[in-house]
Amino acid sequence: MSAIVNLRVFRNFQQFVSFRPISNYPTSLNKNAEVQNVEDDDFRALELRPNKSNNMRGNRRKTAYKKTPVHPPRSNKMPVDQDWPSVWPVARVFHPASVPLPLHQGWVEPGITPPGKFANAELMKIPNFLHLTPPAIERQCAALKKFCTEWPKELDTDEKIDHHFPIQITTSDYLHSSPTIRDARARIVTLQVKLSTLHLNSHAKDKLLRLVKERYDPITDILTIVSERCPLRKQNLDYAMYLLNVLVSESWKTEPWENEKSEADMEKYVWEGSQSQRTLQQLLERMPDKAPVLPEDIEQYSTNVTRFHNEGETTENVNTYKESVKKLLGLNA
Amino acid sequence: MLPRCLRAFSKPLCISFQESGILGKNLNRHLQFVGVNSFSSTRMSCMPQDVSLEKCSGKKDTLYKSVEIEIRSGEPAVLLSYEWFTSYAAKQLGITIGKCWAPPKAHHNRLTLLKSIHIYKKHRVQYEIRTYFRHMTYERLTESTLKTFLEYIQRNVPEGVAVKVTKKSVLNLPSSLSDSVRRLSIQ
Repeated sequence: MSAIVNLRVFRNFQQFVSFRPISNYPTSLNKNAEVQNVEDDDFRALELRPNKSNNMRGNRRKTAYKKTPVHPPRSNKMPVDQDWPSVWPVARVFHPASVPLPLHQGWVEPGITPPGKFANAELMKIPNFLHLTPPAIERQCAALKKFCTEWPKELDTDEKIDHHFPIQITTSDYLHSSPTIRDARARIVTLQVKLSTLHLNSHAKDKLLRLVKERYDPITDILTIVSERCPLRKQNLDYAMYLLNVLVSESWKTEPWENEKSEADMEKYVWEGSQSQRTLQQLLERMPDKAPVLPEDIEQYSTNVTRFHNEGETTENVNTYKESVKKLLGLNA
Repeated sequence: MLPRCLRAFSKPLCISFQESGILGKNLNRHLQFVGVNSFSSTRMSCMPQDVSLEKCSGKKDTLYKSVEIEIRSGEPAVLLSYEWFTSYAAKQLGITIGKCWAPPKAHHNRLTLLKSIHIYKKHRVQYEIRTYFRHMTYERLTESTLKTFLEYIQRNVPEGVAVKVTKKSVLNLPSSLSDSVRRLSIQ
């Protein structure tokens, strides 16, 4: 309630301010006339020794509300083509007398004008961007331009970038207001490589995939190594690169125990030496020789079985398998 | 943040950057002389270009494929203004602007607490803290451009805004790896 009263009284000051300057000390009417002659730009007159007669009962005014004389807002005298970045060089709290804009802010019942900019807490609370107007940004960027370098024009597509720079490293920085500037998550380093750029043969690739397990994404062919075990980012980066080196060098080596790889360890179905091949051979031996089976049919059968196992059951696969079996057994139904 | 060779007053400020990769070592690529500003009146005579190049930092700029800046705050209007500012600054510095987007809904952190200090379990009061997000992506930056841009952006972060910067840099294969790959693929 009192806030509203003060606001109204303060608003009245806006009108009073440009007129007769009212001083704190009770002065005679003659003195008031003297003050009026002074222009607005000059300073107010300071009376060091007010005359005693002013304090007599006749001259004494009831000490009214102490009206602090206020200069008119600076925005009244601002030229339109002024240099705004000089007026508002850095981020500061909203100062209504320095901003030559008729701003209103605040929720009111519909139909009523929102409160103006003077003594508006909402305008003061919200961060303003008056220090970052286009001319200010242009000026600052022109000064910063000399510290920037151009991107090489030859690397305009993503494919070219990936071809020349296969490794991608992702790191994060965090900025927030808190007692400390450090954030533990900033140490995390993610390294991503496309396996096709490493040029591994089938054995090396198989071994690498077994070492790496779920870090490899077969759809995008990207190997992702996340390193967060060291306290510093540089250490994590070095560790990730070391891991990549070690993985590749280990996958190229062939250990003696790798020869013991059995059918159960196979990552994909291979027809040579499989149960299906043995069964087929036994079948062909036992079958009465109506017509000799062509090797092409066997080949076709083998490829279809391999596809069936590796790619899964689709209608296409099933149909081709059916056709190959029919050809093999000489059925024309 | 500023290149190591930047020293005021003593000699003409010269910054040279070398870029790595396909173009090999291009020493002369961006050599710019920055005149001493308004401070000292005397200017040192220009040194010959070769000498000044060697004295400046010989470190190669890493390349960044993209930078994603995620900002969060309790005020969506502030985030919008900040995004406008960063995109304008990026345009001035010649940085390609990628996808700038915001999720349609804020994150609400709700608390349902007892209204009274003692008993009255059926009467509660609910508070919520809303956090709005915004993402800005800038693509194809060199290391020096990135550092300059990020420092400028981060110095002008408004109150109540948290920033997370995710940088994706691209590197060559390490020399040991590329040698072994080449050796073994020849085999």
